[in-house]
Amino acid sequence: MFRVPLLIALALSIAFGGGIVSTLYALNVTTGFGAIRLGAWEAFPNAQTAAADPYANPPRAGAATFLWGSAEGPPSGASVDDAGGGLAGGCSSPAGGKPPLARLWTLYAGNTGGQPFAVNPALPAGLNSWTVVRETDSSFTVTVSARAQPGNWLPLPTGNVSFRLTLTLLDTPTAGSSGLIDLSMPKVSLLGCGDA
Amino acid sequence: MLKILLAIVVGLVGAVLLHLIIILSLPHFTGLDAYTRILARGDLNRFHLLSAKPDKAGLSVADPFMHVAVCSFDVDAVPLRLQARGSVPFWSLAIFDSASNEIFSMNDRTSVGGGLDVVIATPIQLTALRKALPEQLAQSILVEVPRPDGYAVVRTLAPRRSFDQAAQAFLQEASCQDFTGR
Repeated sequence: MFRVPLLIALALSIAFGGGIVSTLYALNVTTGFGAIRLGAWEAFPNAQTAAADPYANPPRAGAATFLWGSAEGPPSGASVDDAGGGLAGGCSSPAGGKPPLARLWTLYAGNTGGQPFAVNPALPAGLNSWTVVRETDSSFTVTVSARAQPGNWLPLPTGNVSFRLTLTLLDTPTAGSSGLIDLSMPKVSLLGCGDA
Repeated sequence: MLKILLAIVVGLVGAVLLHLIIILSLPHFTGLDAYTRILARGDLNRFHLLSAKPDKAGLSVADPFMHVAVCSFDVDAVPLRLQARGSVPFWSLAIFDSASNEIFSMNDRTSVGGGLDVVIATPIQLTALRKALPEQLAQSILVEVPRPDGYAVVRTLAPRRSFDQAAQAFLQEASCQDFTGR
């Protein structure tokens, strides 16, 4: 007598449970399918178009910032270094290389959600193409760590904090086109982990 | 036994359908997408400046060097004219529809004379405008929007503190007004 309702209950619970769990899992995987990875950096060049990947919809569904148009340049973030290890504040991370192909760029360190850290206003909150100090061949190195370093330095809060570097390229000619693969992005590595 | 298997298969099909429906309609349900937040921020046809702290709609600017202003519009009745002028190292404009798809974007290098002068209109309004282009729009860029509601985001860069004032002035003096043809 209870067979039919039991079967219906089984089907419904699998439907709702499976649907919700798989959706939550898929949305929490932050690397959406429209991402481009260049070394340590990932960018979503199509996030603002109608062809955007629906799994990467969190920028439209719940974020507090705006998407970028294709004449502006998508921000790319690095949460891992070139070797794949997570970026954490216990280490100091030099990032550098040749300047990316853009008229202007900005770089700042923030938490894994992309929000910048609240640092002492006397310390540099970020760097951009006008304020970075370059070598004679116009390459540069930026050190991101909790302790002050000479040269280009971005501060981090003390403690072992995971952070994410956001590099925003403004007016890059390859934004929105397949030429994004040719961009040479700065290399990110971990150095000097632990106290010393 | 077979009936249990059938129930499981039906359940899995239902799970796939539910998954797809949730993913595709998520932006509409959260009420937290950019367009809803902008409408909650204030009236149409005004540039609202964003700051580093989240405002009452939860919008903020993450980048420490960028200054951002947003204007929501509805061009159902009359076209809209965006204007801004000033000396800043970089400015960019992006126009989105209410589903946050990009319709148009430009920056200062692709502008006429370095100033921002864009008219947003529906296809019918654009045809009427082009037939008899008013003199003031001789240098404007005409943008056609398929749907009448959307929002425009203007960003400018202040690479150092001393540029902050010029960037704020650029955004504060930017106008996002209905164009009535006069």
